[in-house]
Amino acid sequence: MTEFLQIVLDGLMTGVVYAALALALGVVFQGTGMLNLSQGELAVVAAYIAWACTQAGIPIWPAIAIAIVASAVLGAVIYHGVVRFVPPHREDSLMTLGVTLLLGLNAIVSMVWGTDPRAFPSPFGTWVANFGGLRLTSQQLGGVALVGATMLVMAVVFTRTTFGLRLRAVAQNPRSAAYLGLRSGLWLSAGWAAACAVGAVAGIVAAPTAGLSPAMMTVPLLMALAAANIGGISSRVGVVVGGLLIGLLTAIGGRYIPGLGGDLNVVFAFAAVIAVILVKPAGLFGRESVVRA
Amino acid sequence: MSLLEIQNLRARYGRVEVLHGVDLNVEEGSIVALLGANGAGKSTLLRAICRAVDTSGSCRFDGVDLSGRSTAAIAHLGIGHVPEGRGTFADFTVEENLRLGAVSRTRARSRRETDADLELVYETFPVLREFRRRQAGALSGGQAQMLAVARALLGRPRLLLVDEPSLGLAPLTARDLFDRFTGLRDEWALTVLLAEQNAKLSLTIADRAVLLSRGRVVHDGPSGDLATVDAVHADYLGASEFDLSHADARTKETR
Repeated sequence: MTEFLQIVLDGLMTGVVYAALALALGVVFQGTGMLNLSQGELAVVAAYIAWACTQAGIPIWPAIAIAIVASAVLGAVIYHGVVRFVPPHREDSLMTLGVTLLLGLNAIVSMVWGTDPRAFPSPFGTWVANFGGLRLTSQQLGGVALVGATMLVMAVVFTRTTFGLRLRAVAQNPRSAAYLGLRSGLWLSAGWAAACAVGAVAGIVAAPTAGLSPAMMTVPLLMALAAANIGGISSRVGVVVGGLLIGLLTAIGGRYIPGLGGDLNVVFAFAAVIAVILVKPAGLFGRESVVRA
Repeated sequence: MSLLEIQNLRARYGRVEVLHGVDLNVEEGSIVALLGANGAGKSTLLRAICRAVDTSGSCRFDGVDLSGRSTAAIAHLGIGHVPEGRGTFADFTVEENLRLGAVSRTRARSRRETDADLELVYETFPVLREFRRRQAGALSGGQAQMLAVARALLGRPRLLLVDEPSLGLAPLTARDLFDRFTGLRDEWALTVLLAEQNAKLSLTIADRAVLLSRGRVVHDGPSGDLATVDAVHADYLGASEFDLSHADARTKETR
């Protein structure tokens, strides 16, 4: 029983990374209609920036702050420089653009920092807590706290502030928003910046355990896609629940289904996606817009 | 000087030109009905004023050239647009929709002033106060149209462009909505350019009528004169489907 509880706990801890990445996917998707396949690579870039700052002698927390801000700026630049030229209804072009950005960022990271895995210092120390036979590392607890705080901030910003209201308005109906005086390019850039900041947190939380490398977020991105589908990409709560569920399911599946460990877990995650979308196509928490006929 | 001066305005969707050199002046404080059959270019003209379509030609608002400005920047100059289909944010509450309307206020105003305008809007459209916590997508057609107009008012525009407000509304609801425009014009110091297929309804409130046909202005004059234009009957109105009695009465009053 203790082993099972430990697996559940570890799964949920891993799930917060998927949840953060899925949240970033959701923010971009709602804003620009783009399933941003480069979100994982953007998180990798953030982690490398933080690592490079520590190598330059900057303490870990300021380095993380720099990486998050740099990611937000990079996101805004990518939207403004490339994405805004592709109309939201051109799903094919947006998909291709996502792949191009993924491969391009991966290549840049590999050229600048190499492909060998590097040790990323944990910002939360290296202590281990034991209670009732269960084991929790400071990295796990700190990761949950950091991702949780990020999600809380995002929830407040999106639902309780004028900034969030305007951002959601532009995302929902750019033309109407423009008639009201909202500059859609500016607000969608802000949306990309917010998404990349959240993605940066995911990358920084994942790096100490996964090991920093250009391919570090490949599997987490797939898991985040599965999480977004399970929870409903239109729901901020849904993507978080989806991420935690995927973490949980893959941890349990990897332990108890023979041969399904490691990266093969992704099969289990997408099997869960199929099961959910057959019953609820918009995801567990996703909803179609209410429009009275 | 006219509040809105349009000269040789052309608009296109891709390679298809829809407006072929429109000239139009709108006097401050007037209600101008923009009439025409489906495809005449009414909605496109309103979009062209807001630079929401590919446009060429001259368009000046209060002496300010609108060319080269974005749709959002034009809203900030004081042009409100209630688009065809209302354009409300279905997932937002009524009050959230209304507060978004205040984005384009031409001068920075305090939250207190916005709240005062919100109260004014609720007095004009009490049903919106009743449903202020309801999702906009759950409103009826008439309520949604009121919300769209009210939201535009929150921006304190000087010129209000309204596109097919009677579309999909029951005759009595449409009548009720149109009856409010004259009062709104006076209370909010508005100038209204109203694109509408329902000529009879429009002419009961309009000072002037402009008839569009295939992207060109074919008549421009006092609303009561419309009945005497042969081309109007031949091209659009049809003698049997149109009763100008209301428009005649209004024209006599305003002369």
